[in-house]
Amino acid sequence: MDVSLLQQMLLGALLGLSVYLPLRCGQLSLASPGFYAIGGTVAALLSTRWPALGGTGATYPISSVLLEMGLAAVLTGAIAAAIGTVVLRLRGIYLAIATIALVEILRVITLNLAITGGALGIFGIPQPFYGPEGYALFTGALLALVCWLCDRLERTRPGLAMAAIRDDELAAASQGIDTARFKLLAFVLSAVVAGITGVVAAHFLNSWNAKLGNFDASITSLAFVVFGGSRTWLGPVLGGLLLTALPEVLRPAGDLRLIVFGLVILLGPLLVPQGLVSPERLQALGRLLPRPGPFGRQAP
Amino acid sequence: MYALFALGYTLVFSVLGVINFSHGAVFTLGAYLTFLLIGGNVGANGLLAGVQLPFALPFLPALVLAGLGSALVALLIERVAFQPLRQREADPLLSLITSLGAGVIVVNLIQLLMGAESHAIPTSSLGNLPAALSLGGAKVRTVQVVLLAIATVFVVALTAWIEGSRSGKALQAVSEDPTTAQLLGINSSRMIQLAFGLGGFLAGIAGGLVGLSVSIAGPYFGIGYGLKGLGVLVLGGLGSVPGAVLGGLIIGLAEACVPADFSGYKDAVAYGFLFLMLLIRPQGLLGRVLATKV
Repeated sequence: MDVSLLQQMLLGALLGLSVYLPLRCGQLSLASPGFYAIGGTVAALLSTRWPALGGTGATYPISSVLLEMGLAAVLTGAIAAAIGTVVLRLRGIYLAIATIALVEILRVITLNLAITGGALGIFGIPQPFYGPEGYALFTGALLALVCWLCDRLERTRPGLAMAAIRDDELAAASQGIDTARFKLLAFVLSAVVAGITGVVAAHFLNSWNAKLGNFDASITSLAFVVFGGSRTWLGPVLGGLLLTALPEVLRPAGDLRLIVFGLVILLGPLLVPQGLVSPERLQALGRLLPRPGPFGRQAP
Repeated sequence: MYALFALGYTLVFSVLGVINFSHGAVFTLGAYLTFLLIGGNVGANGLLAGVQLPFALPFLPALVLAGLGSALVALLIERVAFQPLRQREADPLLSLITSLGAGVIVVNLIQLLMGAESHAIPTSSLGNLPAALSLGGAKVRTVQVVLLAIATVFVVALTAWIEGSRSGKALQAVSEDPTTAQLLGINSSRMIQLAFGLGGFLAGIAGGLVGLSVSIAGPYFGIGYGLKGLGVLVLGGLGSVPGAVLGGLIIGLAEACVPADFSGYKDAVAYGFLFLMLLIRPQGLLGRVLATKV
């Protein structure tokens, strides 16, 4: 299997988790690609403009990448906390629309600022690894860490409080749950995950521009969650992996591949409204989507 | 222009309470259909390369036919992407995804068939009109006047229909509460189809008109309009027809007022409005306050 594709799939899974976190709290936020873009821009700017981070070795030091991730996490977390206190007063579709607007405003700003390279973006982001294998290992570890944290979260009080808010916000509030605080927490966590993912993606892609955090990305990452299932963290991970791979796997279909991608997004919620979380459904999907080409028919 | 686009959007939203992400794709379809029907020649790419219809219609009939074609596609999308979910009373979130999937399919079919290059609908298709008129000393492009006239006709007709006719009232009833409307003898799913059909028709017309006044910048150009259309909707009040018109006018004017030095930020205007509006007055300028159900 192509390692670059695997890396993209892992990034997709991380983005899926980022959309999943607020959704688990009943909040449909499409802001993740915006924070992803902020993370990517932070990494691109720091690594190309701050020579001290470059180190002396042939490759860009991983410690610098970790530093960028930390800074991106702090920045996106702070922005999310500031925006979240205002935006999270909105409910349902209004919140979704507000976050779409946010992502688009960010995109237009990135497109027009000189420091972010305008429409062309920032080039020549240094590489901490020699090939995609290193990235895939690094991102895989990151994904495992985030999954573990999500798993922990789902078992602890904050996670249970979030699930309660999703099921019935009023009832949760009447049980003494500080709904505003937990919604904000979910929103900030989502932003941090997206920001960190953006840092890794910027190094992996080698260049960064405004297009990477746009409306398409918002909807695709939402599709990861809806497709995979929004009840446990496994859903968005699976959705992110599968849906990122899909257009590439369909490459033999040539010009038809985006049409088939559209069909899958269209039919997915109709056929599996709860997402693919349960093992039976996974098998059903395996029958629906025989994998062509070099991958044979092995399970994903 | 934004107003016309947003009208169809708001129709569907007011009836179903969901956002139809395929609206931008139907808009694009309308533009391409108009282009084909006036005898436009498909470019070198795409499966239909070099194809030209054996006849060339004048602009207005072509526009209306394109609108009808778009309405048919919108009905088909309703059938495939919305109806099954509605019957199952599924999470409205799912229809965001399915309508997006439908939009992706439509846009990519257009790309596959027609290629990715941009087209312009020649203004000569309007017949022998002078390129510019002078109105009170100011020169105005004839195209703009025609656009404004057509858009006004549709807005007035639609408002009159919704406020005045029996089926318009029925549509309002369904948007209030589909179940109660059904109990009162209104065929709710028929009215929802009507809303989709009309929405598609308006989107197709808007597409053709934008193709005439600006150009068709490739199969993806409807998506940007789709997002700005959201801004228009929210500004005017989701689900309000006069609100959509007012929102369209405000955003159109505001974009025109952006100084040239900051023209790059023009696109952010609609979203900025959208964002602020949601924070200050989520029900929009002309929307009703929604009571939260306990």
